[in-house]
Amino acid sequence: MEEWVRRSLLNPLLRNNVLISGQAEPTIVFSHGFGCDLSAWSEVAPAFEAEARVILFDHVGSGRSDISAYDLSKYARLDGYAEDIVELATELALEDAVFVGHSVAAMIGMLAALKAPGRFGRMVMVCPSPRYVDDEDYVGGFSRADIDDLLQVLDSNFMGWSRAVAPGIMGNVGRPELAQALSDSFCRTDPDIARAFARVTFLSDVRAAVPRLALPTLILQTQSDMIAPVEVGEYMHATLPDSAFVLMEATGHCPHMSAPEETVAAIKRFLAS
Amino acid sequence: MTSTDAADPMILPEETLDELYDRAPCGYLTTTVPGEIIRVNTTFLEWLGLTREAVVGRRLQSLLTPGARIFYETHCALQLRREGMVRQISMDLSRADGGKLPALIDWRTLKNAEGEVIGLRVLVVNATDRRAYERELVAERERAKATAEALRELNETLENRVEQRTRELRDTMDFARLALGAVGGVGVWTYDVASDRFVCDDNIAALYALEPGRGSAGYSAAEFLQHLHPDDAVALNTTMTRGLVDAGDLELEYRIRHADGSIRWVLSRGHTYFEDGVAVRRTGVGVDMTKQRLLEEQFRQAQKMEAVGQLTGGLAHDFNNLLAGISGSLEMMEARISQGRLADVDRYMGAAKGAARRAAALTHRLLAFSRRQTLDPKTTDVNRLVTSMQELIQRAMGPGVVIEVVGAPGLWPALVDPPQLENALLNLCINARDAMPDGGRVTIETANKVLDAQAARQHDMPEGHYVSLSVTDTGVGMAPQLVARVFEPFFTTKPIGEGTGLGLSMTYGFVRQSGGQIRIYSEVGRGTTVSIYLPRHDGEVIEDEDQAVPSVLVPAEEGKTVLVVDDEPTVRMLLADILGDLGCSVIEAADSNAGLKILQSDVSIDLLITDVGLPGGMNGRQMADAARVSRPGLTVLFITGYAENAVVGHGHLEPGMALLTKPFAVETMVTRIRSMIEI
Repeated sequence: MEEWVRRSLLNPLLRNNVLISGQAEPTIVFSHGFGCDLSAWSEVAPAFEAEARVILFDHVGSGRSDISAYDLSKYARLDGYAEDIVELATELALEDAVFVGHSVAAMIGMLAALKAPGRFGRMVMVCPSPRYVDDEDYVGGFSRADIDDLLQVLDSNFMGWSRAVAPGIMGNVGRPELAQALSDSFCRTDPDIARAFARVTFLSDVRAAVPRLALPTLILQTQSDMIAPVEVGEYMHATLPDSAFVLMEATGHCPHMSAPEETVAAIKRFLAS
Repeated sequence: MTSTDAADPMILPEETLDELYDRAPCGYLTTTVPGEIIRVNTTFLEWLGLTREAVVGRRLQSLLTPGARIFYETHCALQLRREGMVRQISMDLSRADGGKLPALIDWRTLKNAEGEVIGLRVLVVNATDRRAYERELVAERERAKATAEALRELNETLENRVEQRTRELRDTMDFARLALGAVGGVGVWTYDVASDRFVCDDNIAALYALEPGRGSAGYSAAEFLQHLHPDDAVALNTTMTRGLVDAGDLELEYRIRHADGSIRWVLSRGHTYFEDGVAVRRTGVGVDMTKQRLLEEQFRQAQKMEAVGQLTGGLAHDFNNLLAGISGSLEMMEARISQGRLADVDRYMGAAKGAARRAAALTHRLLAFSRRQTLDPKTTDVNRLVTSMQELIQRAMGPGVVIEVVGAPGLWPALVDPPQLENALLNLCINARDAMPDGGRVTIETANKVLDAQAARQHDMPEGHYVSLSVTDTGVGMAPQLVARVFEPFFTTKPIGEGTGLGLSMTYGFVRQSGGQIRIYSEVGRGTTVSIYLPRHDGEVIEDEDQAVPSVLVPAEEGKTVLVVDDEPTVRMLLADILGDLGCSVIEAADSNAGLKILQSDVSIDLLITDVGLPGGMNGRQMADAARVSRPGLTVLFITGYAENAVVGHGHLEPGMALLTKPFAVETMVTRIRSMIEI
């Protein structure tokens, strides 16, 4: 009985603000990256509802997740985030589901898939990077000092956060609810959590896990991605045992937001193959 | 030159918009949606020390410092797309000389007539000064935080000291507070014998459903008790009559019926005063016990629910096990029939039937357990009763508790209500379990006891022959002052919400009703023994059905070797057959103890398949973890009923470990095994 109470209090579905839509098989889990929340998928996920069960969630510390579940030591490792996904997968009894992860979430998903074999059967990695900081021959695109620079930028912007990144009134006209939801989730961004997430993301190195992921994996690489450069995408493609590499027309680090149609089409082609 | 000469407005050209754009005290840029710079003003170029040619066609992001670039992509781009603008983003731009320009940057989307975003307008403000203030502010904030922290620590130590000094005082105040809280619903009354009238306060008037405001003038005795529940009239009359004769305090609880149909329980305590041997006055208090009575009812219900909860987890596991045995056997039969191997079918049919039979027996036992009757004593073989309960108790205890049963040979029969004794035994075992949060050993022991005059005095029981049933745990134990109170109703050592405090008092009531006695021996840190003594009874023991549980160890053929650990023989057999079909050798074990012994030997094992809930002192996860100490890369497949998902499913499954839920399809099992070892 105690155990039951504890588990319901710590229900991972509530903790991670899980949204489920669609009913068919397969199940597709969309996982947002650093700086976003589940709304990052708002123009991609609905395109799959007719043919799949679509699961969206916020990482703990982002969006509408349960901030009280944020544990500094747990989330100081990507493993901590991966454990949450394993718990979600267990709670939802996933089997052979598709995991679509953006940026760092692609790596979190990879760790989760390795921890719980059978839960996920295919992976889609949107702009993935197993290590952001250069290391000998490996090109990550950034130096250690660059990451310190990022932390400073975060400090500088979060200090006056509500004013700095609060939505402009002019832009809200077309979609007031979404704007409201979005500014809500930004306002909830705790500066310390954003800093910690930045640190764990950009100082991570999960290259050792990449060759162990045997699942069929789609890598979506964009033109001139300033966060995960094409060298990193090629590294992923060369190191993953079973991957397909697609160089998109889209530019920038967030094709699921800047080019949702192309992103949807690429994922659908992969799922159909 | 005079000012008049130069300031002729007519000969000075007007400022053009281009000039304003170019020379404004801020940077202006226009870019494509991805950020390529199309137009840029001179102010911006001068700040960065760049030429127009070097800048046009480049992406603005590439002029940001790397950290700022990440922030733009991860935070600003999303908002820009959604909101059409982002304002006052604090970022540094890289200058041509390698230095940085602290800036505040606004982005705004440009749309065409169709509303499509076709480009971005960028406004850059030089924020060198502001950034310096910010740095000072951040440093100041850090200092303030450190000071606050130091203050908090000081406060805490101070608080500790104050707390220590005032603990006694506070206890006293708490007692007072508790006492005050408890006297809600208490009133006082006086009965004058000569006038046969009651005088009372407002609380009593309200409690007895009397016309308010007349308490000090008084009510006649008949008026005062007009709402007494008729069923309690005889008892009250008897007490009152006795009170007029006997000296001393009187106490009685009875019911008052209120106009709205509700019932109030009143505990009335009074003292009679005599003059020259004649009773003249009685004074007392009335306490509203209604809430307590209702709570008791709730507690009784809660205790029932608690027992059900205790059993549900274990039973679900059990039934899943048995279902796995049944459905797996059916699938194997199907496979064998399609292969034409009809000789094997009997074996699976037997296995399925056996599992179904055990499921039925389990249901039967559960129903027998949940049937609550008035005592129906039968001549009972306590040893047999204990054996029949052993499996159920093990389920309720969980895998962390080892159960040992020591049945005395030649045990005398006892005259007792068997289901109630089962209930009492389960209750004692659950208490024992709760006293051992980290697991341990529960010993259930029966014995014949002859109490001679001296022993009888010691035990505060009549001389005679008794059958004892003792439950001993290796738990936390209790101090003597706790032991003295454990039979009190509602007394519980468990945290609020976890125990009703009724278990032992109900057991006590039942044992006393059966002519027996309960004794407790406990030592803090060592454990507790609770012994039930039941009078010996010579009579014919009523027979009941029985069963036995086989177990242990069979190695098989060649190829990859798989160790299967499961306490359900049907599941082991099924797995052995599946694995045999895959060309694997199979070693079986029925509990974690046996499993670990094999794992710690030098037998080659390619895969461990284990149930999570296991008898033998460890669960499957703990056994696998222990095995991995000497076999670091050991591949492990957990099979589990839902109840123990928590043990392995809290996200701590390591590489090389997997989980499958029971009941499983043979096909799924085969796929999973193939994904884990090469066969």
